[in-house]
Amino acid sequence: MINATKKWIFLKISSVILMPLMLWFLFNLVSYYDKSYDEVLLFFTSQPTKFLFSLFIIFAYFYSSLSISEVFEDYIESEKLKYVANRLLYLFAIIIPISTLLLLFKLSL
Amino acid sequence: MKEKNPLSPHIQIYNWHISSLISISHRITGIINIILITLICLWTALLLLGDINYELIQKFFETFFGKFLIMGTVWSFSFQILSEIRHLFWDLGLGFELKTSKITGLLVIFGSFILTIFVFILGRNLIL
Repeated sequence: MINATKKWIFLKISSVILMPLMLWFLFNLVSYYDKSYDEVLLFFTSQPTKFLFSLFIIFAYFYSSLSISEVFEDYIESEKLKYVANRLLYLFAIIIPISTLLLLFKLSL
Repeated sequence: MKEKNPLSPHIQIYNWHISSLISISHRITGIINIILITLICLWTALLLLGDINYELIQKFFETFFGKFLIMGTVWSFSFQILSEIRHLFWDLGLGFELKTSKITGLLVIFGSFILTIFVFILGRNLIL
């Protein structure tokens, strides 16, 4: 199987997993965005929110990095620039969710 | 000769149709969404600042810009969800006919606004 096919399959699987998580997060975002510190903290540090939010962040960055790299593929001509842009994108998509998950863990202590 | 992928034609050369509008909006909202998700991560990080400092964030969400940001996030995610469902149907080989494609395109546009309103009504408990 060529890399582009693998990438497409990962993109589709992650989109199917991400859609219900996105919808779940939207309902909660609208409910909690203007709530007090204690309520927001309790929301992010209690289960099942912690588990679902972690999944949401992981799949959101995974899906976004794959789909944005498709945009790079379509619009960046220079192979060198495309390589750098993709590496930076993947690095960003790894660092931010891991930092957020560590932070959630710290908040739960 | 070195093999290279062809680049997409620049967007200005297209005549605008529903399908092209949805296609470019799908990509733009995809990029906006990764920025919004990063802001959501930042929001959780700000919880580390503690109770007193978080009041500033709470006040920001009460401003017009704060509410606009939340509403924009809900719309952008809603658009992406519906547009991705349209893509999944295409992946199954369904909905390629010109008329069907126009109808599903319109459903994505209007549906994203309806879904945004629906999320706000249910999320804010606006139904008795």
